[in-house]
Amino acid sequence: MAPLSKACFEDYDISMALPTIELGPMDRFDYIPIALILRDTNPLHLDRVYAQERGLHDVVQQGPLNQAYLYRYFTSLLHDPWDLVATKMRFAANVFPEDTLTCGGEVLALAPEEAGGGIVTCAVWQRNQKGETILKGKVKARIPSRR
Amino acid sequence: MTVDRTALIGRPLRAATYTVSEVDVNDFLGVVAESDFAPTDGSEGGTEAASGRLAPPSFAPFVAVLGLLKTFDWQDDFLFDYRTGTAMFGEQSIEFHRPLLVGQSVAISAAISDVYEKQGKQAFDVVEVTFDIKSSEEGDLLMSGQQSYILFK
Repeated sequence: MAPLSKACFEDYDISMALPTIELGPMDRFDYIPIALILRDTNPLHLDRVYAQERGLHDVVQQGPLNQAYLYRYFTSLLHDPWDLVATKMRFAANVFPEDTLTCGGEVLALAPEEAGGGIVTCAVWQRNQKGETILKGKVKARIPSRR
Repeated sequence: MTVDRTALIGRPLRAATYTVSEVDVNDFLGVVAESDFAPTDGSEGGTEAASGRLAPPSFAPFVAVLGLLKTFDWQDDFLFDYRTGTAMFGEQSIEFHRPLLVGQSVAISAAISDVYEKQGKQAFDVVEVTFDIKSSEEGDLLMSGQQSYILFK
Protein backbone atom coordinates (compact mmCIF):
# COMPACT_ATOMS: atom_id res chain seq x y z
CA MET A 1 0.00 0.00 0.00
CA ALA A 2 1.34 3.42 -0.91
CA PRO A 3 1.92 5.59 2.16
CA LEU A 4 -0.69 8.29 2.67
CA SER A 5 0.25 11.71 3.86
CA LYS A 6 0.00 12.22 7.60
CA ALA A 7 -2.15 15.30 7.93
CA CYS A 8 -2.25 17.57 10.98
CA PHE A 9 -5.41 18.62 12.81
CA GLU A 10 -5.46 21.99 11.01
CA ASP A 11 -5.55 20.18 7.66
CA TYR A 12 -8.91 18.53 8.36
CA ASP A 13 -12.29 20.08 7.50
CA ILE A 14 -15.75 18.69 8.08
CA SER A 15 -17.08 16.85 4.99
CA MET A 16 -13.56 16.52 3.59
CA ALA A 17 -13.06 13.25 1.76
CA LEU A 18 -10.20 11.06 2.93
CA PRO A 19 -7.89 9.65 0.26
CA THR A 20 -9.02 6.31 -1.12
CA ILE A 21 -6.91 3.22 -1.63
CA GLU A 22 -7.48 0.05 -3.62
CA LEU A 23 -6.47 -3.36 -2.31
CA GLY A 24 -6.31 -6.70 -4.00
CA PRO A 25 -7.15 -8.89 -5.65
CA MET A 26 -7.97 -10.86 -2.51
CA ASP A 27 -6.10 -14.17 -2.27
CA ARG A 28 -7.81 -17.36 -1.05
CA PHE A 29 -4.49 -18.66 0.28
CA ASP A 30 -4.49 -15.81 2.80
CA TYR A 31 -7.54 -17.41 4.41
CA ILE A 32 -5.48 -20.34 5.73
CA PRO A 33 -3.26 -18.35 8.15
CA ILE A 34 -6.26 -16.22 9.12
CA ALA A 35 -8.26 -19.40 9.92
CA LEU A 36 -5.36 -20.58 12.08
CA ILE A 37 -5.13 -17.26 13.92
CA LEU A 38 -8.88 -17.21 14.51
CA ARG A 39 -8.97 -20.93 15.49
CA ASP A 40 -11.87 -21.11 13.02
CA THR A 41 -11.61 -23.78 10.35
CA ASN A 42 -15.18 -23.32 9.16
CA PRO A 43 -15.15 -24.79 5.60
CA LEU A 44 -17.15 -21.79 4.40
CA HIS A 45 -13.82 -19.93 4.39
CA LEU A 46 -11.66 -22.73 2.98
CA ASP A 47 -13.64 -25.21 0.87
CA ARG A 48 -15.04 -23.87 -2.42
CA VAL A 49 -17.26 -26.91 -3.00
CA TYR A 50 -18.73 -26.62 0.51
CA ALA A 51 -19.45 -22.90 -0.10
CA GLN A 52 -21.02 -23.62 -3.51
CA GLU A 53 -23.26 -26.28 -1.96
CA ARG A 54 -24.57 -23.48 0.26
CA GLY A 55 -25.40 -21.17 -2.64
CA LEU A 56 -22.24 -19.06 -2.65
CA HIS A 57 -20.04 -18.82 -5.74
CA ASP A 58 -16.82 -19.22 -3.75
CA VAL A 59 -15.41 -19.28 -0.24
CA VAL A 60 -16.05 -16.24 1.96
CA GLN A 61 -13.18 -14.11 3.24
CA GLN A 62 -13.14 -13.91 7.03
CA GLY A 63 -14.85 -10.78 8.38
CA PRO A 64 -12.04 -9.80 10.76
CA LEU A 65 -9.66 -9.75 7.76
CA ASN A 66 -11.95 -7.26 5.99
CA GLN A 67 -11.93 -5.17 9.17
CA ALA A 68 -8.15 -5.39 9.42
CA TYR A 69 -7.77 -3.90 5.95
CA LEU A 70 -10.05 -0.99 6.88
CA TYR A 71 -8.16 -0.47 10.14
CA ARG A 72 -4.86 -0.48 8.27
CA TYR A 73 -6.20 2.03 5.78
CA PHE A 74 -7.32 4.48 8.45
CA THR A 75 -4.36 4.07 10.80
CA SER A 76 -2.00 4.65 7.84
CA LEU A 77 -3.33 8.23 7.83
CA LEU A 78 -2.29 8.76 11.46
CA HIS A 79 1.04 10.00 12.75
CA ASP A 80 1.07 7.02 15.14
CA PRO A 81 -1.28 4.09 14.40
CA TRP A 82 -2.07 3.86 18.12
CA ASP A 83 -3.51 7.40 18.01
CA LEU A 84 -6.66 5.48 17.17
CA VAL A 85 -9.29 6.29 19.82
CA ALA A 86 -12.40 4.32 18.82
CA THR A 87 -13.97 2.31 16.02
CA LYS A 88 -17.47 1.14 15.21
CA MET A 89 -17.95 -1.10 12.18
CA ARG A 90 -20.78 -3.08 10.66
CA PHE A 91 -20.59 -5.86 8.09
CA ALA A 92 -22.80 -5.30 5.05
CA ALA A 93 -21.67 -7.91 2.50
CA ASN A 94 -19.20 -10.74 1.94
CA VAL A 95 -15.79 -10.59 0.27
CA PHE A 96 -14.67 -13.37 -2.09
CA PRO A 97 -11.31 -14.38 -3.62
CA GLU A 98 -10.21 -12.11 -6.49
CA ASP A 99 -12.34 -9.22 -5.23
CA THR A 100 -10.68 -5.84 -5.17
CA LEU A 101 -11.53 -3.59 -2.24
CA THR A 102 -11.55 0.17 -2.05
CA CYS A 103 -11.33 1.93 1.30
CA GLY A 104 -12.29 5.54 1.87
CA GLY A 105 -13.94 7.93 4.23
CA GLU A 106 -15.12 11.39 5.10
CA VAL A 107 -14.54 13.73 8.04
CA LEU A 108 -17.65 14.03 10.21
CA ALA A 109 -16.52 16.03 13.24
CA LEU A 110 -13.54 17.88 14.68
CA ALA A 111 -13.02 18.39 18.40
CA PRO A 112 -9.97 20.50 19.28
CA GLU A 113 -8.15 19.70 22.51
CA GLU A 114 -6.67 22.28 24.88
CA ALA A 115 -3.22 20.77 24.68
CA GLY A 116 -3.25 21.16 20.88
CA GLY A 117 -4.48 19.00 18.06
CA GLY A 118 -7.76 17.25 18.57
CA ILE A 119 -10.05 14.33 17.92
CA VAL A 120 -11.15 13.71 14.35
CA THR A 121 -14.26 11.60 13.74
CA CYS A 122 -14.62 10.05 10.29
CA ALA A 123 -17.06 7.85 8.47
CA VAL A 124 -15.14 5.02 6.81
CA TRP A 125 -16.19 2.46 4.26
CA GLN A 126 -14.93 -0.47 2.26
CA ARG A 127 -16.46 -1.39 -1.11
CA ASN A 128 -15.86 -4.11 -3.65
CA GLN A 129 -15.25 -3.75 -7.39
CA LYS A 130 -19.02 -3.68 -8.01
CA GLY A 131 -19.45 -0.72 -5.67
CA GLU A 132 -21.18 -2.84 -3.02
CA THR A 133 -20.49 -1.77 0.54
CA ILE A 134 -18.62 -4.43 2.49
CA LEU A 135 -18.02 -2.56 5.73
CA LYS A 136 -19.10 0.80 7.01
CA GLY A 137 -18.53 2.57 10.24
CA LYS A 138 -17.09 5.42 12.21
CA VAL A 139 -13.62 5.92 13.58
CA LYS A 140 -12.06 8.47 15.92
CA ALA A 141 -8.41 9.36 16.24
CA ARG A 142 -6.22 11.86 18.01
CA ILE A 143 -4.46 14.10 15.49
CA PRO A 144 -1.56 16.36 16.49
CA SER A 145 -1.34 20.02 15.71
CA ARG A 146 1.23 21.31 13.23
CA ARG A 147 2.41 23.86 15.83
CA MET B 1 -39.70 -23.94 18.97
CA THR B 2 -39.14 -20.20 19.46
CA VAL B 3 -36.49 -19.30 22.01
CA ASP B 4 -36.96 -16.16 24.10
CA ARG B 5 -33.46 -14.82 24.74
CA THR B 6 -34.47 -11.56 26.41
CA ALA B 7 -34.00 -13.20 29.81
CA LEU B 8 -30.27 -13.35 28.95
CA ILE B 9 -29.89 -9.55 29.26
CA GLY B 10 -27.49 -8.76 32.07
CA ARG B 11 -25.99 -12.24 32.14
CA PRO B 12 -22.28 -12.12 32.98
CA LEU B 13 -20.11 -14.36 30.80
CA ARG B 14 -17.09 -16.28 32.00
CA ALA B 15 -13.72 -14.60 32.47
CA ALA B 16 -11.12 -15.55 29.86
CA THR B 17 -7.56 -14.84 28.87
CA TYR B 18 -5.88 -14.59 25.48
CA THR B 19 -2.21 -14.20 24.65
CA VAL B 20 -1.31 -11.84 21.81
CA SER B 21 1.27 -14.33 20.60
CA GLU B 22 4.23 -13.56 18.39
CA VAL B 23 3.22 -16.41 16.06
CA ASP B 24 -0.30 -15.02 15.60
CA VAL B 25 0.93 -11.46 15.02
CA ASN B 26 3.64 -12.58 12.59
CA ASP B 27 1.15 -14.75 10.66
CA PHE B 28 -1.24 -11.81 10.60
CA LEU B 29 1.45 -9.44 9.31
CA GLY B 30 2.26 -12.01 6.62
CA VAL B 31 -1.22 -11.32 5.22
CA VAL B 32 -1.97 -7.74 6.27
CA ALA B 33 1.45 -6.19 5.75
CA GLU B 34 1.81 -3.10 7.91
CA SER B 35 4.63 -0.69 7.16
CA ASP B 36 4.98 0.33 10.83
CA PHE B 37 4.89 -3.23 12.22
CA ALA B 38 7.42 -5.64 10.77
CA PRO B 39 7.20 -9.35 11.58
CA THR B 40 10.04 -10.74 13.72
CA ASP B 41 12.08 -13.91 13.31
CA GLY B 42 10.58 -15.49 16.43
CA SER B 43 13.78 -15.30 18.45
CA GLU B 44 12.40 -12.83 20.98
CA GLY B 45 10.01 -15.42 22.47
CA GLY B 46 8.28 -14.60 25.73
CA THR B 47 10.29 -11.49 26.45
CA GLU B 48 8.43 -9.41 23.89
CA ALA B 49 5.79 -7.98 26.23
CA ALA B 50 8.63 -6.71 28.40
CA SER B 51 10.48 -5.39 25.35
CA GLY B 52 7.44 -3.39 24.35
CA ARG B 53 6.95 -4.54 20.76
CA LEU B 54 3.56 -3.22 19.71
CA ALA B 55 0.92 -5.18 17.85
CA PRO B 56 -0.82 -3.21 15.11
CA PRO B 57 -4.27 -1.75 15.87
CA SER B 58 -5.54 -3.75 12.86
CA PHE B 59 -5.01 -6.88 14.99
CA ALA B 60 -7.45 -5.56 17.64
CA PRO B 61 -10.60 -6.99 15.98
CA PHE B 62 -8.93 -10.41 16.11
CA VAL B 63 -8.17 -10.02 19.83
CA ALA B 64 -11.77 -9.01 20.53
CA VAL B 65 -13.23 -11.86 18.46
CA LEU B 66 -10.87 -14.50 19.86
CA GLY B 67 -11.11 -13.29 23.43
CA LEU B 68 -14.88 -13.08 23.40
CA LEU B 69 -15.32 -16.54 21.89
CA LYS B 70 -13.68 -17.86 25.06
CA THR B 71 -16.22 -16.11 27.30
CA PHE B 72 -19.38 -17.93 26.22
CA ASP B 73 -20.85 -21.20 25.12
CA TRP B 74 -23.27 -20.88 22.23
CA GLN B 75 -25.77 -23.31 23.74
CA ASP B 76 -25.46 -22.53 27.46
CA ASP B 77 -25.15 -18.75 27.21
CA PHE B 78 -26.93 -17.85 23.96
CA LEU B 79 -29.43 -20.78 23.83
CA PHE B 80 -28.18 -21.43 20.30
CA ASP B 81 -27.30 -24.72 18.61
CA TYR B 82 -24.14 -23.85 16.66
CA ARG B 83 -24.16 -27.25 14.90
CA THR B 84 -27.46 -26.66 13.14
CA GLY B 85 -28.03 -22.91 13.35
CA THR B 86 -26.53 -20.00 11.45
CA ALA B 87 -24.73 -17.25 13.34
CA MET B 88 -22.85 -14.19 12.11
CA PHE B 89 -20.85 -11.39 13.64
CA GLY B 90 -22.76 -8.13 13.72
CA GLU B 91 -21.49 -4.72 14.69
CA GLN B 92 -18.26 -4.32 16.62
CA SER B 93 -17.28 -1.17 18.49
CA ILE B 94 -14.00 -0.71 20.32
CA GLU B 95 -12.56 2.08 22.42
CA PHE B 96 -8.80 1.99 22.66
CA HIS B 97 -7.23 2.89 25.99
CA ARG B 98 -3.69 1.52 25.66
CA PRO B 99 -1.75 -0.19 22.85
CA LEU B 100 -1.58 -3.99 22.64
CA LEU B 101 1.83 -5.56 23.14
CA VAL B 102 3.05 -8.69 21.41
CA GLY B 103 3.46 -11.44 23.99
CA GLN B 104 0.97 -9.83 26.33
CA SER B 105 -1.64 -11.98 28.03
CA VAL B 106 -4.92 -10.10 28.30
CA ALA B 107 -7.96 -10.72 30.50
CA ILE B 108 -11.44 -10.46 29.00
CA SER B 109 -14.61 -9.85 30.97
CA ALA B 110 -17.98 -9.64 29.24
CA ALA B 111 -21.72 -9.60 29.80
CA ILE B 112 -24.81 -9.76 27.61
CA SER B 113 -26.02 -6.16 27.52
CA ASP B 114 -28.97 -6.44 25.16
CA VAL B 115 -31.01 -8.89 23.10
CA TYR B 116 -33.55 -7.88 20.48
CA GLU B 117 -35.27 -9.41 17.50
CA LYS B 118 -34.98 -8.05 13.96
CA GLN B 119 -36.67 -9.06 10.77
CA GLY B 120 -34.80 -9.25 7.48
CA LYS B 121 -35.45 -11.88 4.82
CA GLN B 122 -35.47 -14.11 7.88
CA ALA B 123 -36.07 -13.33 11.57
CA PHE B 124 -33.01 -13.19 13.79
CA ASP B 125 -31.98 -12.24 17.31
CA VAL B 126 -29.18 -9.75 17.92
CA VAL B 127 -27.24 -10.54 21.08
CA GLU B 128 -25.06 -7.63 22.20
CA VAL B 129 -22.07 -8.34 24.41
CA THR B 130 -20.25 -5.57 26.26
CA PHE B 131 -16.62 -6.29 27.07
CA ASP B 132 -13.49 -5.02 28.77
CA ILE B 133 -10.02 -6.25 27.85
CA LYS B 134 -7.36 -5.58 30.49
CA SER B 135 -3.68 -6.30 30.89
CA SER B 136 -4.69 -8.68 33.72
CA GLU B 137 -7.87 -9.20 35.76
CA GLU B 138 -7.07 -6.17 37.93
CA GLY B 139 -4.79 -4.53 35.38
CA ASP B 140 -4.95 -1.55 33.04
CA LEU B 141 -7.86 -1.25 30.66
CA LEU B 142 -6.63 -1.80 27.09
CA MET B 143 -9.82 -1.98 25.07
CA SER B 144 -13.54 -1.82 25.83
CA GLY B 145 -16.52 -2.11 23.58
CA GLN B 146 -19.39 -4.09 22.23
CA GLN B 147 -19.74 -7.01 19.86
CA SER B 148 -23.07 -8.18 18.52
CA TYR B 149 -23.90 -11.67 17.29
CA ILE B 150 -26.68 -12.37 14.82
CA LEU B 151 -28.50 -15.63 15.53
CA PHE B 152 -30.91 -16.66 12.79
CA LYS B 153 -34.18 -18.27 13.86
